[in-house]
Amino acid sequence: MKTTYDIELRIRRYDPDQDRTWVQSYRVEAGRIMRFVDLFRKINDEQDATLTWGSSCEHGQCGSCSVRVNGKPLLACELLVENAVASFKTTTFFIEPLPVAKVIRDLVIDTDQAYARVDQVKPYIITPKQPTAQNGAHQISPDELERYVDATRCINCFSCAAACISDHSTFLGPNAMLAAIVRVMDPREGEKRQRLDTIYNENGVYRCHSSQACTFVCPKGIDVAHFMAMAKQGAITVG
Amino acid sequence: MNGDLKIHATVHCDVLIIGAGGAALRCGAEILEKVPGASVYALTKVSHPQKSHTSTAQGGLAAVDPKDPLDAPIYHMFDTWKGSDCTADQNVVKLICESAWEQILWLENRGMHFSRDREGRLSKRTFGGHTRNFGESSVYRAVFEADRTGKGIMDTSWGETLKRGITFFNQCIAVELLLKDRRCGGCIAFQQKEGQFIRILAKATIIASGGSGQVFRVTTNCRQNTGDGLALVLQAGLPIMDPEAVQFHPTGIVGPGILASETLRSVGGILRNRDLEPFMVNYAPKMKELAPRDLVARAIESEIREGRGIVNPDHNIPHVWIDLRHLSDEVHEKQIPEVSSFFKRYVNLDTKKDLCPVRPSNHYHMGGIPTNQYGEVEDANQQVIGGLYAVGECAAASFHGFNRLGTNSILELITMGKLVAERVIDRVKGEPTRPDDSFRGDYFAARFAAYVQAVGSESVGALRNTMRTTMTEKVSVFRTEKSMTEAIEQLLELHERATRAPLTGRGLAGNQELLNRWELDNLLQVAMTISQAALHRKESRGAHFRDDYPVRQDAFNYHTLTSMNTFGAVEIGRREIDMSLFKAGGPHHEKFGYIERKY
Repeated sequence: MKTTYDIELRIRRYDPDQDRTWVQSYRVEAGRIMRFVDLFRKINDEQDATLTWGSSCEHGQCGSCSVRVNGKPLLACELLVENAVASFKTTTFFIEPLPVAKVIRDLVIDTDQAYARVDQVKPYIITPKQPTAQNGAHQISPDELERYVDATRCINCFSCAAACISDHSTFLGPNAMLAAIVRVMDPREGEKRQRLDTIYNENGVYRCHSSQACTFVCPKGIDVAHFMAMAKQGAITVG
Repeated sequence: MNGDLKIHATVHCDVLIIGAGGAALRCGAEILEKVPGASVYALTKVSHPQKSHTSTAQGGLAAVDPKDPLDAPIYHMFDTWKGSDCTADQNVVKLICESAWEQILWLENRGMHFSRDREGRLSKRTFGGHTRNFGESSVYRAVFEADRTGKGIMDTSWGETLKRGITFFNQCIAVELLLKDRRCGGCIAFQQKEGQFIRILAKATIIASGGSGQVFRVTTNCRQNTGDGLALVLQAGLPIMDPEAVQFHPTGIVGPGILASETLRSVGGILRNRDLEPFMVNYAPKMKELAPRDLVARAIESEIREGRGIVNPDHNIPHVWIDLRHLSDEVHEKQIPEVSSFFKRYVNLDTKKDLCPVRPSNHYHMGGIPTNQYGEVEDANQQVIGGLYAVGECAAASFHGFNRLGTNSILELITMGKLVAERVIDRVKGEPTRPDDSFRGDYFAARFAAYVQAVGSESVGALRNTMRTTMTEKVSVFRTEKSMTEAIEQLLELHERATRAPLTGRGLAGNQELLNRWELDNLLQVAMTISQAALHRKESRGAHFRDDYPVRQDAFNYHTLTSMNTFGAVEIGRREIDMSLFKAGGPHHEKFGYIERKY
């Protein structure tokens, strides 16, 4: 078994001070279980301290390190070198920021801009209903929860939005839709009308082309397209 | 360049929160709920509040349901006190344990997706160290949202603050606290995206900046947990309490630094060294792998020290193996599927066929900014600094003492977040005027100018790696006078060398290098207080273990207060442990004296 790889990373860079974009190539000797975030850090420590990229938890739970690798949106903290070589069948990787918001520097995008779409669908309970159980909590059967719980696992890494074939200038995006769908299906939400208006308005779920690209790229394995299809069928309002 | 280091703008608000994790947002949500229209600003170093470390908490949060006939808050208080190795403050323990359930309802009523039992009620699970009837048997006390409880807390609290009109400053760091006449008026902040310094003046300032795990090389903490909040108060001349109380989990997955649950050992996993020997029998002949966390961690560390660890060239971190190959497919698939998937995803190993690399990993810092039970920050003489509060992992009101029980950290942030908010609300309402222009930043400009203008051949990345390795080798699971003295010398040298680490890119906007340089300073300061406090504490207590002083000593029955005005010159003070439950003399008060931590 091969233990190290000679990897070439071709990284799309952007320098805001000079408003300049270019592609820079780095060669890295990488162990088989190094992750792409480890490669970025290695470049920072050994070759180029100016290379800028996003990261926070680095174990697939925060979605800060999402980038496009050879066109595919994914989390750089979850991509192991040997898996990347096997699945892309190359040792050269082209790395770009996600195309869902303006670039701040190199691989870092303006998350505020991307999140504005999530904020628009109100990712919280707008008007809570009175608790139903005697101890002050709501009673929600596991079956009822099961219908939407997978959608609550979204970490807003925007991989789905990056892969989506819909027009980004209009569609609120698959992850924003998931946030809205969760609350329509949540029995604690008293304000269903406004929610449905958001989901079915002109920037809502009918902008989805059902390509299922969102489901294919979701790092959490959420079947995003399934929730979109349910919404299109009106199946999210039936109890 | 120096022209850029001036203050670009001054903004005013009622409440400034430094941080936007679980504690920060719970606190902010409460303030906005009770004082609609208050201006609350929250700064976060990460790109968005949802990316905060709280999102990674897995297991659950302990809370006694008042309707539970088998459990009672007094049992939870006892478990916490015993777990703390008799160093928690009992007034805080009482406050948090008694208000826990109310906070569960707050989260549930606002949309957290807790796991449910068949009747649709909140499910509960057991957790290590949580018992009923003073240690009699384990108890179902932790409510949870599958294996993503922290994410549930974050999403819910973030949603509430968003709903009620908080203002977030993302990718923004606090670089200097504005103090005058024992009062805090806000901070100087650096907006990374714009590359600009701003002054934020506030009636109340809350530090909720999270943990310091990146001080160590192997940690389960997020990359941003570089002890910034602790460094901020040290730089302001204020103390840090109990920095030596650092918790290590015995089995972190080597490489990414993710916890491999205790479950692996309880289902029969065997720890093996380089020669594939099952070594736990040499350390705990009866309990072997099932011995307590700290004992297992020390056993693994001993194997590594004595040259029986394994080093993978990909990360050069010595480790041991946990062997799960002999377990049935049923165990792999039904009992440990999540941890198995971590090994698959992050180190590409199949737990059914491969040996899995684990080693003790830094997990939680019990110490922090000293506060009273209302979250008000205290100085070395235990006098309150007006308008300054701290909450969450960066703070120590001291709920955890010298060892934290599982599930108690996210309980703390949610309860203390709310309690601190109450105090802040009083201040916001009672304070007619906002701080004026006389609150000025004194040293941020000189500090950042030094970073930007440094010349030399040192590398920030290399210095940081050396520091983290030193701390992991010399001040972690095992501590001796010799190892810590060596670490302190090394830290002094690294601090000096850092002044000769130049930046390649000198523009301020989006400059990650500059951020790394600032973080290095913070890490070094926190590392120094940890090392000096641990050197001072000549005993073993909770997570603090001294090879040369392996027993808990009554002479050290106090909290350490460390101050550092010049790097390396740490002054040690002390704060009394609150024993109010013991002194009150009520039923069971004897359980709250100095007892043995034996399980």
